[in-house]
Amino acid sequence: MEFEGPAQSFVDEIIIAENVHKWFGEFEALRGVSLRVKPGEVIVILGPSGSGKSTFIRCLNRLEEHQEGRIIMDGIELSHDIRNIQEVRREVGMVFQQFNLFPHLTVLDNITLAPINVRKWTRDHAEEIAMKWLTRVGIPEQAGKYPGQLSGGQQQRVAIARTLSMQPKILLFDEPTSALDPEMIKEVLDVMRDLAKSGYTILAVTHEMGFAREVADRIIFMDAGKIVEVNTPEEFYNNPKEERTKLFLNQILQH
Amino acid sequence: MTTNSELTTPKGRTIGRGINWKLFMQDNLTGSWMQTITVLFLALVTGFFAYGRYEALPIATLVVLGAWVLGIVAVVIGELFHKHTSLSRWLKENLLNSFSNSLLTLFIALVLVSAINGIWQWGYVNANFNPAETTPEFRSDNGATWGVLWGARKLLMTGWLEPVHSWRVWLSLGFILTMWALTYVTSRPALKEKLRTVRKVLNGFWLLSPVVLYIFFAGVPAGEYNIRGIIIGVCVLVAIYALLWSQKVIPFNWSSIVTTAFAWPLLYTIWWFIGNSGQFSPIDPDKWGGLMLTLIIASSVIVLAFPLGMVLALARRSEVFGIPAWLIWPVAVATTLWGFTTTPELLATSRNLVEQIMSFWPLLILAIAYMIHQVFNGNIVAGAGTTFIELIRSVPLITLLFMGIVMAPFFSGEGVSIPKPWLVIVGYTLFSSAYMAEAIRGGLQAIPKGQYEASDALGFNGSQKMRFIILPQALRIVIPAIVGQFIGAFKSSSLVSIVGLFDFLGINRSIVSNPDWLGLRLELYVFMAVIYFTGSSVMSAYSRKLEAQLGLGDR
Repeated sequence: MEFEGPAQSFVDEIIIAENVHKWFGEFEALRGVSLRVKPGEVIVILGPSGSGKSTFIRCLNRLEEHQEGRIIMDGIELSHDIRNIQEVRREVGMVFQQFNLFPHLTVLDNITLAPINVRKWTRDHAEEIAMKWLTRVGIPEQAGKYPGQLSGGQQQRVAIARTLSMQPKILLFDEPTSALDPEMIKEVLDVMRDLAKSGYTILAVTHEMGFAREVADRIIFMDAGKIVEVNTPEEFYNNPKEERTKLFLNQILQH
Repeated sequence: MTTNSELTTPKGRTIGRGINWKLFMQDNLTGSWMQTITVLFLALVTGFFAYGRYEALPIATLVVLGAWVLGIVAVVIGELFHKHTSLSRWLKENLLNSFSNSLLTLFIALVLVSAINGIWQWGYVNANFNPAETTPEFRSDNGATWGVLWGARKLLMTGWLEPVHSWRVWLSLGFILTMWALTYVTSRPALKEKLRTVRKVLNGFWLLSPVVLYIFFAGVPAGEYNIRGIIIGVCVLVAIYALLWSQKVIPFNWSSIVTTAFAWPLLYTIWWFIGNSGQFSPIDPDKWGGLMLTLIIASSVIVLAFPLGMVLALARRSEVFGIPAWLIWPVAVATTLWGFTTTPELLATSRNLVEQIMSFWPLLILAIAYMIHQVFNGNIVAGAGTTFIELIRSVPLITLLFMGIVMAPFFSGEGVSIPKPWLVIVGYTLFSSAYMAEAIRGGLQAIPKGQYEASDALGFNGSQKMRFIILPQALRIVIPAIVGQFIGAFKSSSLVSIVGLFDFLGINRSIVSNPDWLGLRLELYVFMAVIYFTGSSVMSAYSRKLEAQLGLGDR
């Protein structure tokens, strides 16, 4: 299975986050997160629950609003300007833990709805692209079904196809395998692995250690709203720099 | 109720073949004192009742009794030999599943038989069907005088509408039925794809149908061809187009702007032409009545209240960027101070305490400012929506109708009289839309947050998100509630008879005061009950069908 790559980006750093702060009421979820990502980089974010990793990637497409700092996605700064936000969202695809497919639409309509209405493609073109992606994720025969009729793994693959049909440059994965049964995790990880190899810029929050070790260019470890360590997978697992990282790795590798 | 004797469960019950009579009696009769008394009491009452019915209606009662005994025999045989037919199984599961239920079945069957017999005797055997024989000397004490329905058919159906206009009612009926039939046929699965264009044209006609029906029922006045009206209309349409385009709601293209610009002159010319042809001369809506008025009010309310309710629901939930406090309070204080300049003069001229208090009206501005700031966080859209809904819901429908009828003349100015049906429709629509809005809001709240997030992440803008993802799901959830509203609108429209309109129920008063039909209420009420029942049942059957169709993609 070989994936077609994303559209080329003309910036040196496709994601720039500078000193990002985010509060939920009194609680400070992000305490100055800074990150620079080059086009085509695959980054896996690890960390204990409540460390702000999901919040961080949700800030990158404005599902959450950051209150301090700057976020520049593919050269566009996220501000209160709704047009900027919409432009960023067209280029940034997101895959959710709970799939969030539209239950009242068929699989094909789920995938083509955004390309037709946001990208303004013709229905024929959108359906062609949708079928191409459905074939790539291995379930073209499910196009006419409704999401409720599919297994969890199939639903998540449809969600990935839906995201990719918008032809984004950046992919955000928010714990895409956490809601799946163990035997379905592999089929989703296979798809993600191939995407990673074909040049997409990927930010993934996941607990899949094998996946992280295999495909990540860099691993980011977050705790309590801060980036604690940034490292290559090799170094991260074999020779972590920070005490907090060691503790975390001990906890998850020892069960 | 039956158990058998080869295996024993921990509770001492046996399972398998055969009947354990001890347990059978325990289940049905000897389980407790209450049970025994209940069954004996039921048996006694049913016995006496059956005897009484036997004296009144021997044959029917014997038939019922016979059928009941046969049914019991069939069930008992089925149980003893484990050989149920589908009928005996159904009887066992539904009508004869215990002593008490068997007795109740007999009792209710006897009640039904006598009721049906009574209705039969009154409505057919002793009834007089001749429309010419409705005066008291032709009536029998225990029979209906159905002639009134035929005699008063014009009043019942169209009220005081002049007979020369009857053909227009028939025309609209034909129009609606034709549209319905065509829609039904073209939406069959076999034809759905092939006839896409036909269906589009039909939808266009449905959109136009309120105007068409308005022309049929209310007519078009003749008049001068008004060039100024055309120019103003075109300007307004083009301005709306430009506004929508600048807000990126619709894309710009030449053909659509030309269509927009020409739509108004074309429609106006058709309107003017119809008016001057004299075919559809104006009818005074105050002459509408009967079933026609009921249907006009109900369908107008349904058609208007649904979109209004949707807008209100979205408004109440809107999260637009609110007006900041630093803007609200200075403006409010300034206008209040300015308003107080009128107070001394008002105080000087006031004649009583109420008027004195009312001279301090600018305080209201502060109250409103407080509401906007504190209660709605500056979000005036949500504020206006919520206020409207809660105000309307805190007032009885009758009050709104009276307000409409009694207050409208004060506002409409000298010599302008708005026909009562319009006022009633406006009042009722406001009322209905508030409830509709709350039903739809319930549906909106049932949509998981993930659906909003997924649509945001895919880049949909606010209106697309609502149109394609949220509303289709929310509306499906609230179909039962909305159809309930529709049925309510249909039936409760009879309240308009209180404010002096002669709708289907209200026309009763005029009919029974006619010397020919003096006091023939029962016949009319039975007829109305049948019509209301049919209408409501059709609506709820349609809603069930719709739910089943739309249930396809359920999670």
